[in-house]
Amino acid sequence: MLKNKEKNNFIYCPVCEGRGVAKYGLACSNCGGVGLGTFFANRFYYWSLRLGKTVIELDQFRKKVHLAVNIVAYAICLLGLFSLGAWVFIVGKDTVDLGAFAFWRAKSVLILIFWLSVIADMFIIYRMNEEERLMHKIKPIKYGEKDEISSLINNWEDIKKATGKVKIDVWGGYDARTLTIINEAFLLAQRLGHAYVAPMHLFFACLSDPQVGAIFSRLNIAPDRLIDSIKNQILNIKDIGGKTELSRNAKEILIEAYLQANQLGQRKVTAKNLLIPCLERDEMIGEILYDLEADKNKIFNVILWFIVNEKQVENYRKFKQIARFKPSSNMDRAYTSVATPTLNHFAYDLTLAAKWSKLEFCVARNEEIEKIWQAFESGRNGVMLVGPAGVGKGTIIDGLAQLMVQEDVPKFLQDKRLVEIDAARLVSGATPAQAEERLLTMIDEVNRAGNIVLFIDNVENISGITSGTEESLDLSEVLANAIERREIFCFAAATDKNYTQFLEGRSLGNVMTKVEVKEPTGNQAIQIIESKIGYLEGKYGVYFSYSAIEHVIKLTTQYIHDKYLPKKAIDILEQVAVKTSKKRGEQPIVTHEDIAQVISEATGVPVTKISETESKVLLHLEDKIHERMIDQEEAVKMVSSSLRRARAGIREGKRPIANFLFLGPTGVGKTELAKAVADVFFGNEKYMIRVDMSEYQNADSINKMIGDEQGAIGYLTEAVRKQPFSLVLLDEFEKAHPQILNLFLQVMDDGRLTDGQGRTIDFTNAILIATSNAGAVFIQEQIQVGVKIEKIKDALINEHLNKIMRPELINRFDGVIVFKPLDKENVKAIAKLMLNKTRKMLETKGISFQADETGVAKLAELGFDPKFGARPLRRVLQEKVDDEIANKILAGELKRRDTVIIDSEAQIQIEKGRKI
Amino acid sequence: MATNNLPIFGTKVLIEIVRDILYFPLWWYSRGLIYLVTSLFSFLKNREKGLALFVWIKNIFKPMYAQTDWQGVLISIFMRIVEIIARSIIMLFWIIIALASFLIWILLPPLVIYEIIFQLI
Repeated sequence: MLKNKEKNNFIYCPVCEGRGVAKYGLACSNCGGVGLGTFFANRFYYWSLRLGKTVIELDQFRKKVHLAVNIVAYAICLLGLFSLGAWVFIVGKDTVDLGAFAFWRAKSVLILIFWLSVIADMFIIYRMNEEERLMHKIKPIKYGEKDEISSLINNWEDIKKATGKVKIDVWGGYDARTLTIINEAFLLAQRLGHAYVAPMHLFFACLSDPQVGAIFSRLNIAPDRLIDSIKNQILNIKDIGGKTELSRNAKEILIEAYLQANQLGQRKVTAKNLLIPCLERDEMIGEILYDLEADKNKIFNVILWFIVNEKQVENYRKFKQIARFKPSSNMDRAYTSVATPTLNHFAYDLTLAAKWSKLEFCVARNEEIEKIWQAFESGRNGVMLVGPAGVGKGTIIDGLAQLMVQEDVPKFLQDKRLVEIDAARLVSGATPAQAEERLLTMIDEVNRAGNIVLFIDNVENISGITSGTEESLDLSEVLANAIERREIFCFAAATDKNYTQFLEGRSLGNVMTKVEVKEPTGNQAIQIIESKIGYLEGKYGVYFSYSAIEHVIKLTTQYIHDKYLPKKAIDILEQVAVKTSKKRGEQPIVTHEDIAQVISEATGVPVTKISETESKVLLHLEDKIHERMIDQEEAVKMVSSSLRRARAGIREGKRPIANFLFLGPTGVGKTELAKAVADVFFGNEKYMIRVDMSEYQNADSINKMIGDEQGAIGYLTEAVRKQPFSLVLLDEFEKAHPQILNLFLQVMDDGRLTDGQGRTIDFTNAILIATSNAGAVFIQEQIQVGVKIEKIKDALINEHLNKIMRPELINRFDGVIVFKPLDKENVKAIAKLMLNKTRKMLETKGISFQADETGVAKLAELGFDPKFGARPLRRVLQEKVDDEIANKILAGELKRRDTVIIDSEAQIQIEKGRKI
Repeated sequence: MATNNLPIFGTKVLIEIVRDILYFPLWWYSRGLIYLVTSLFSFLKNREKGLALFVWIKNIFKPMYAQTDWQGVLISIFMRIVEIIARSIIMLFWIIIALASFLIWILLPPLVIYEIIFQLI
């Protein structure tokens, strides 16, 4: 994997201070004009070219001269051919004798011109060859050279004397276009009268390079904005006066760009290599780019993307050249193989498909392929790729087929065909006996042909099929026997789940070496996705920004847990591509917002950027919650601030969004607050998973919660797996068995829980709220005495809670929140809230509703019970208000346009509406 | 600065062109010749790979289509000899082409000089 390198240490000539020039513009005598440079991989790198208006003009002049020389040579060459043609024409007019056309014996001015032109032809061949040879100028660092300790002494005398082999003038490694860009940067600085060419000038000049333009367009940066900001910065440069020259920084940038290109295996330094060194030397460039949502790492990854693409194109070209030599029939090159009719019927020739470029390219999987070769070298005849669905087992096999076409494989695979047997087709429409016969015939054919390697995808499909009687062999055993007898070479693939269930420990699992294919992560995943982008862009006519790719990997890793990379990312990208191309017409750019939107739709998780309305909601979360909650100020405040932290993205990613323990007597709003949070934060009350912990009082009810090995599904784990973004309410937490409580230690600490089937369930996007009415009486007593909530809380934790919960569990909660018992005023406010609901219900029926203050107070009085909080209130309102209204509606006394009034005696009155 | 760069650069351009012209005949028989020979070799190698001539020769006694009975073996050897002869002829053609190009490369400069002198006198 390519990584951004560490910073180089530069050394400067003490006499000229890195300028390389002494008085009168002569080269510095101490460093020989080198000025500054750096050591890398046992070589010294420096920039010698001193720019100046004359030099640039001369350089342009030189190019023109060379071009002129070339044009003259081509012209002479054409003239020669023309004169030969003319001579033939003239001679042909007079004679039909072939002997007369022997131009090498004839004497004519035209022939003389022709012979002279042959010299020009030869000169052109020479020039073309030399130009091509000079193209590969960057001297690659060979394996192992990097670690050598520099033998050059840090001494200017020695550096001055050093030869070109160890002292490299990076100037020669730049391609012509980039040198022009550097010249432009210089001319820009000179025109503005600046004393030095600064990183800003170089960066600005780079922007005219088409590839740099493409890089910023991948990063979704508007060129106008970038150019304007850089322009402003350049105009602000104060260093004016004197003859313009390259600054120290600029020279360092030019040297670092060379080193970067060298490490990336480029043949020439191009403008894109200058970007990161420029950014590193000038903070302002970094700031400007940061404002446009790009940073060093992103730019580096996009540069890598371009380089990977270039290499892919180059590989494809090479592949096509070599693929010509692979036979296109099912014969080997020596015609020793046999026809395989049965096999051909059930199988698909992968090497043939690869030869005609029908298979996908396999990227960044060298490690797995290396393991496969090792498995064969260790003497096995079978390799089984095991990994979750969608990680790219099939693509690795495609990659192998391509390697076989290029014959870039171990000896036993050379000049062979890779053939995929369709296991489903093999067993379909056949009795087990017939299927077995088919397989045996095929193995026989493969054995006789001798040039076939088998591949069976989903190999578990042939496991467990027997031809009936008890002694008969399982189909997979037939295959296993053939592999064991070394009759055939075989690849197979199975998902890890099927492998453990059907193959592990069985004969087929035993004879084949298991090679695990892991889910790609980080840069490996990015590179794999980048290699597929070209195809998607071509198919749907969209354009992906880099951030889209970065986000698709980040977000799918975070929010989609039942599928695997790279498949899940590619699926999302495809959905986004279809959607964007339909929505926005020609060549739309796919940004990370589009990705977030599709992932939000697929998972129900709000992952889009925090919108203005949403940020308003978050900022006023307390008010929003209080719309449906009365009092409990402290609890609401604590919950709100932790939710704000979570949505703004400043929290540890490895734990649930928040873990709370709500303490308080019944009926004070613990559950109500949880509901309000689910509604406000997740958008709906249905995103609340409610677990009644009193149902888990026995140790064996653990299976009910997390499932078991037999496949029983756990209530909690399944709910969170399906809906990772939700609020988990653990009601009456203290009532559960201590062993079950221990499960939550891990959940609260690591944000994950392993269910009975061995799947890891992610809790990092959940809010965990446990409620308990332990110490309720204590709270009530203390409040009545007038003790402060803080003190009550401490006493609760230290004296009451630690008797029923282990201290480490209590410690895991982000907050233990004590709910106050409600007083009469609170209950009255709650009664109003509840009556509001009734009002809304009646409004839909066209009936108005009014309530008298004293009436409400009376209802509240009836519904208040210091022990049960607001709970009896609901019952009272139901009896006294809702039931009455229902009766009146049924009796026909209450109709549209009427008004229901709760009078001062808390009785229901009806005011008739006007008649129409 | 100009004092430093102007003469150096001016002469550099001139030297480059002069060097190009002077070096070119030398190049023709040194680096150019090496370049020609290597590319001709890779050309021939690719032709051979395409024709699979060596593969046929190596397998001359191996029966074709895995027909291991004696009739099969006999027919196979006969067929393989025919194939080898046919493929050798094609290969020979490519070798001649390669040799001819090599000779042309070697002989072209003296021929051109001779012809020019011949035209002039």
